[in-house]
Amino acid sequence: MLERGLEEKYYILNLGPQHPSTHGVLRVELQMEGEFIVKADPDIGYGHRGHEHMAENRTYLQFLPNLGRVDYLHALAYNQCYCMAVEKLLELKVPERAEFIRVITCELNRIASHLLWIGAYLLDLGAFTPFLYCFDDRENILDLLDRVTGSRLTYCYYRFGGVPRDVDDDFLAGCKAFARRLRSRYRDYENLVNKNVIFLERTKGIGIITPEQCVKYGLTGPMLRGSGIPYDIRKCEPYSVYPLFDFEIPVGSTGDVYDRYMVRYREMEQSLRIIEQAVDRIPAGPIMAEKVPKRIKPAPGEVYVAVEAARGEFGIYLVSQGETAPYRLKLRVPSFGNLSILPEIAVDTLVADLVAILGSIDVVVPEIDR
Amino acid sequence: MATAAQSVSIVGMIAGLIGVMALVAVNALFLIWMERKVAAHMQLRPGPMEVGWHGALQTIADALKLLGKELITPRDVDRPVYLAAPIVIFLPVLVSFLVIPFSQNLIIRDMHVGVLLILSFAALTVLAILMAGWASNNKYAVFGAIRSVAQNVAYEIPLLITLMSIILMVGSFRLTDIVAAQNRVWFILVQPVAFILYIICATAETNRAPFDLPEAESELVAGFHTEYSGMRFALFFLAEYTNMFIVAALATIFFLGGWRGPFLPGVVWFLLKVYAIIFLIMWFRWTFPRVRFDQLITLSWKILIPLSLANLIITAFVLKLV
Amino acid sequence: MLLNDLTQALGRLNLAKVAPGEYHKSGCHLEVEAAPAQMPEVARVMLEQGCFLESLTAVDFPEHFTLVYHFNHFRELCRTVVHVRVPKEAAAPTISHIYPGANWYEREVYDLFGLTFAGHPDLRRILLPFEADFHPLRKKFAPSETPADA
Repeated sequence: MLERGLEEKYYILNLGPQHPSTHGVLRVELQMEGEFIVKADPDIGYGHRGHEHMAENRTYLQFLPNLGRVDYLHALAYNQCYCMAVEKLLELKVPERAEFIRVITCELNRIASHLLWIGAYLLDLGAFTPFLYCFDDRENILDLLDRVTGSRLTYCYYRFGGVPRDVDDDFLAGCKAFARRLRSRYRDYENLVNKNVIFLERTKGIGIITPEQCVKYGLTGPMLRGSGIPYDIRKCEPYSVYPLFDFEIPVGSTGDVYDRYMVRYREMEQSLRIIEQAVDRIPAGPIMAEKVPKRIKPAPGEVYVAVEAARGEFGIYLVSQGETAPYRLKLRVPSFGNLSILPEIAVDTLVADLVAILGSIDVVVPEIDR
Repeated sequence: MATAAQSVSIVGMIAGLIGVMALVAVNALFLIWMERKVAAHMQLRPGPMEVGWHGALQTIADALKLLGKELITPRDVDRPVYLAAPIVIFLPVLVSFLVIPFSQNLIIRDMHVGVLLILSFAALTVLAILMAGWASNNKYAVFGAIRSVAQNVAYEIPLLITLMSIILMVGSFRLTDIVAAQNRVWFILVQPVAFILYIICATAETNRAPFDLPEAESELVAGFHTEYSGMRFALFFLAEYTNMFIVAALATIFFLGGWRGPFLPGVVWFLLKVYAIIFLIMWFRWTFPRVRFDQLITLSWKILIPLSLANLIITAFVLKLV
Repeated sequence: MLLNDLTQALGRLNLAKVAPGEYHKSGCHLEVEAAPAQMPEVARVMLEQGCFLESLTAVDFPEHFTLVYHFNHFRELCRTVVHVRVPKEAAAPTISHIYPGANWYEREVYDLFGLTFAGHPDLRRILLPFEADFHPLRKKFAPSETPADA
């Protein structure tokens, strides 16, 4: 709550909770002087469903579908993190073919998430058409993943020890066809968006985040890489079969909104590279580990596992006391930390800039609220 | 004899007025359909296809729907101003139709001060927007109205100066004279810079993207017409499209030779050119993101006004020397 | 090596435990146990070394709460976990003046567990409604007994 009283000369405006630009149910209370923002206070929790409490009251396997609902845009990465955490406690080794399948599907999901973000972000800035182009490309990914996982959005595809269904050659050919199709679209995106003078004016020099702020607020993901720090868990703390692939980490230089946009845009190409290499080298073999226990009862202990999701570092802190349900499951979501910097960078900006900055943080509010 | 002539001219005026109302309605119908089709095809989708041939009757269906909606008047609005705003926004548009030459003989009143009439009444649009925003008793609406006023005032100046360059060349405010002066070459070839400046100012004057801040959906919900629903909202919508027609008509008259053209009758050429300019304005909307407010004002005061002044001065010099 | 630097720097603080962890089992390179009053010092040392706060949460045990802090570093991988045992009804010191990112994490712990943080600039609920009077992640919390809003 912002203090009333002495600040009678300021104008209080609520952005949300129902607003076309806050992606999800988020309220930002603004104290404004004319069009300039004096103070911004995000108010979260409108979608709090108690996932962590649910985790303590369900078996490990029963909790698996919940993760697709935490961040529905990159659900497979969240699935992967949870499976890795439980597999670590159970000391299960996932077969190589399953790891490759996990990487391919996870990277496809990442591209879908970034495409949606680009479309929605440009819609916030007032350009209506890129939204439909991005969704058109995204439909291809959704069709591919639908055939393999059975869902279009809130996936629950991985299991402890591997994946339940194998991929066929149609899927692999489809991945390559998609890569060709997305690459053919780059020229349109470059000319219409990346080089558009109005877009550059709206995004360059706005919402600058310094590397010191990144450390103090614990920012991760494109927010961090836009400020010049090349920290990506796939390279810095590699998991699964990522060490086998050759890809780069796009990094910005100034930490403004434009750099964060370009980081996400170029990450799509890097994901395509990973997918193509994985499709070329996927080995034959089993897709589930051999001895997966029927009742998952990990040994007592605690574990912290992190993966690189589209929004940043997603971590799971799991405390087990040898029961069939976790004793404590903490979901460390990237948007929670990323959004906490908004009060600091929103001071002295215009409302239109606030919309641009808020969009560039790439918030998915259900994951903040859990 | 005098009364007969007077009564003929009165009958002519009334016939013209009815014709104008009909034109406004049909034009809006056509333009809304055109906008939706243009937007759809630019976005890789077909657009309205169900009602009528390729959705041609869609607008009528929408109009019927809007007519049937409940007219909600929020409790705390300033009633007289709130109710008057949609009507006031229509007045300048209707008056402007008086002096536009659709073809050599199709003009309601060939006034000496043709252009001045249109431009002075265009300023009333700003008043109507301010009335709508203020009377709505809504913070978002007030924001939208304030932005719109600043935008309209800022962009009217380069608009006027740009048109002055042409008027200087022709030497008259009469629209028929301006069309007649283009019998050898269209003014777009003589004054290309003025044409570009005019199109930018026209897009801003009609509150179209990329200058549609007063209606910015993603920031202010709906701007100055947030609190209007049903038929009243339809009136604002109608006024915007008719404004587009007026502004495109001016562009045609000043730069594209009005109704001049071979083979086809003048009216057909005039309408073709007007709708081509409108297509251009629609193309802008679906291609560019929105400009931020201070960038908008900077563009006008720091770039467009100096450029249009320079254009005017150069025109004056060239005319003096030639 | 960051692990050595951290071990040295933390060794000077007289903490209950500073030991290397088994990374492939627990995901952490360094395991630290500290008393609540020592936490701000630990945080200061971590910030000086350039570590960022990865996660801050609490675990409810029958006799006490355990605050669990995870730190990591952008340039060199070294995950440090700090366990702080806080008796029930006691308050823990805040580290939000050192790590501003901890501000929201501490509000979340207060919201879900009822653990207060002394010195926090703005300790109010963050996920639950401001007027809520329960702390759902405590083990004693039984959701079916709490009446839902009509």
